[in-house]
Amino acid sequence: MSGPFDGYRGIVLTQAWAGSYATQLLGMLGAEIIQVEFHGRPDSWRGAYDRPIPETVANAPGAAEEQHTWNVNPLYNSVNLNKQCITLDLTEPDGVDIFRRLVPLADFVAENFAPRVLGNLGIDYEALRQIKSDIIVCSLSAFGNNGPWRDVPGIGGTIEPISGMSSLLGYEGGPPLNSGQMYPDAAAGLNGFAGIVTALMHREMTGEGQYIDLSMQESSLAFIGDALLEERIIGNVRGRLGNRHMTFAPHGIYATADDKWIALAAETEEQWTALCGVASREGWRNDIRFSDNATRKANEDALDAEICAWVSGQKRDELAKRLSDAGVIAAPVLDAHEVAGDQALRERGFIVDVDHPEAGTHPQSGIPVQLSGTPAAIRRHAPLQGQHTQEVLERLLDIDEDEYMELLNRRITGAGPIK
Amino acid sequence: MTKNAALHGIRVIDLSTSVSGAWCARMLADFGADVAMFEGADGHPARRLAPFDDDGNSVIAEYVLANRRSAIVDLELSEGIEAVRTAVAGVDVLVCSGTQREMEALGLDFASLRQLNPGVVVCSITPHGSTGTRANHPGNDLTTAALSGWASINGLADQPPLKPSGLQSSYCAGTIAYGSIVGALLARRKQTPFQGQFIDVSELEVMASTFGPALLTSQYQREVQPRKAKVDMSTGPVPVKDGHFALTISRPQFWRDAMNVLGLDDLAEDPRWWTSWYRKEHADEYVDRAQEKLAQWNKMDLFDTLAALRVIAGPVLETDELADNVHLEERGFFRTPDNGGPEYPGPGFKMSATPADLTRSAPSPGNHTAELLRDFAGLDKSAIDALLASGAAR
Repeated sequence: MSGPFDGYRGIVLTQAWAGSYATQLLGMLGAEIIQVEFHGRPDSWRGAYDRPIPETVANAPGAAEEQHTWNVNPLYNSVNLNKQCITLDLTEPDGVDIFRRLVPLADFVAENFAPRVLGNLGIDYEALRQIKSDIIVCSLSAFGNNGPWRDVPGIGGTIEPISGMSSLLGYEGGPPLNSGQMYPDAAAGLNGFAGIVTALMHREMTGEGQYIDLSMQESSLAFIGDALLEERIIGNVRGRLGNRHMTFAPHGIYATADDKWIALAAETEEQWTALCGVASREGWRNDIRFSDNATRKANEDALDAEICAWVSGQKRDELAKRLSDAGVIAAPVLDAHEVAGDQALRERGFIVDVDHPEAGTHPQSGIPVQLSGTPAAIRRHAPLQGQHTQEVLERLLDIDEDEYMELLNRRITGAGPIK
Repeated sequence: MTKNAALHGIRVIDLSTSVSGAWCARMLADFGADVAMFEGADGHPARRLAPFDDDGNSVIAEYVLANRRSAIVDLELSEGIEAVRTAVAGVDVLVCSGTQREMEALGLDFASLRQLNPGVVVCSITPHGSTGTRANHPGNDLTTAALSGWASINGLADQPPLKPSGLQSSYCAGTIAYGSIVGALLARRKQTPFQGQFIDVSELEVMASTFGPALLTSQYQREVQPRKAKVDMSTGPVPVKDGHFALTISRPQFWRDAMNVLGLDDLAEDPRWWTSWYRKEHADEYVDRAQEKLAQWNKMDLFDTLAALRVIAGPVLETDELADNVHLEERGFFRTPDNGGPEYPGPGFKMSATPADLTRSAPSPGNHTAELLRDFAGLDKSAIDALLASGAAR
């Protein structure tokens, strides 16, 4: 057993982040995931063909002498672990025919094209359920499969503002911001994962497949649902709070003496008392402005000024440890390299070194859940473009070498740009 | 509850005291599980999160505690613990958020519970997971943002790192927990007799998973992504006449059409500008010009113009604008619980055969204590009365 979804197979047209992340989670937890890319028009997260390969990638530890730009994009390689990849020209009837022959062998199909694309290719849910009546199809699109904005495209960078997320992200008194990466994709991916597993359960119980219509806008909205309900119930339009909490103070990120940052918060009186103790500031405990959470919240500017002044004389990691050991909510603000090197995350098996045949060996974010009875594992690096076409077509469709060569010659499949 | 619910017949006890646990339980309930929330004597901590309505009810609790029944059981009293243990013996899933140390002290850890119920799936959702050097450290959405890397890339270079807004770690971790529980229930079906398992969700690891692309990029490029010195149209919202607008162009045709709409024909037609890596390297040659044009538009006029051309476009909408949005209205995104009350947003995805259900708004604490002790713990009236009399249940 290699994860709870061992035995299920997805034939997926997912690309970029949201869809790829949803299907990667299924693959990480044991499902067999076969990604189908358009021959010659790869997953957009593989990047543009004319994009130069950075020197750091060319010279990475374990990197291949010859690298293909489509195979060494960290974006693609971060969200396609445990998958195989085949290419088909889905603009050609013979390419579509092969896809349709794969569908009966799949439990689910997932895709994140604009809503009209699958229909144009003749492989939308209605068409696929004619081939396999209990198929599960999950579509992740910008605005969902109906409504006036159905055909408006979107990516994380535009979904974040139009879902309200940007209106909530930013410093107090400052403008709305987008996240440092396109966070709504991650939110959509998590929801897509949840949708597909729900459909698998229903099919196990009833034999019935179904269609999952995921709007990236709505997935993001669900994750700020409390702010939307706040508007509905009390008519308040929530603004930007920086790092502050609506309830608790202190709750912030403060600069340390070693030019780093620390996050700290107190949600209980015990934590506040412990914080005062670590800071050796009995004065804070006796200050009527800080006597309970309500007064601390009311005097948060003054409180933050006190904490800033104290923290600015402390070193990040030492202070974080002292606070955590004392039971205060605290953590160093880590950058990506520090996360990748974090000993605690490695000991838990979350950060893993993954060997990639072209890109070399790099630490990656691994499986975000541990299951005692059905443990999961990283079994494969992200696939090279078209790496598994021949193997998958032979294994699943009995397409032999001669037939495969013919498909290659006719450019129905192939790796790299169409020559 | 529709009989077509995917999780029809699944019985869940929610002992969690976190928003992540509450969201996991909410999803289980949305898809048909019968969820009993056993709150402590002080009520679920989400009930104390601002903002509050006129009656003092937490809006956050209204959202994340919906769709379940509530019993108050005092876990500081042995009778209370025993009632919960009895109830766990008959359920499929237990959701909890205490550290293993805390759960062991209550006799509610997985090893103890599987003695009572070998098929039970126990899902623990904690800030840092149930093992490892941080297992007993407290944490919340702020610290998971700090440790996962997200805070280091959110916000502006001349200001502090910025956590994702609101309760993102909690929603993300709750969703992973939900999917993993369903996975465990599926795996269990293939065994005779049913074997449960322990699911260990770390909010930090879930957020670090969503940080995966930035993490691997930093490895390939041997430098970390800095916080932006300033926001420009390629990375986030910039000012327009009546607010802010993001034009984070990806494909060549989006660029051409958008630049033509802005009246920047030279930028539109020169193919060098069609690739995003070129634009990134030459941002100072176009950003000011394009933003000057953008500033002349109202956000929804520009959105409508670009949408008609099927170009991506991101007006910044606030929550009141979303409450009154024609697209969401036609999709039926806001819906009233079967028992009335305010319109709730959601769900995050629509399922054709097993749509998410919203049976009830959040229960008041202990609203269903007697019936849950009967239905889940199998207690008779005299046993329930004894618990109520002792204060172990309320």
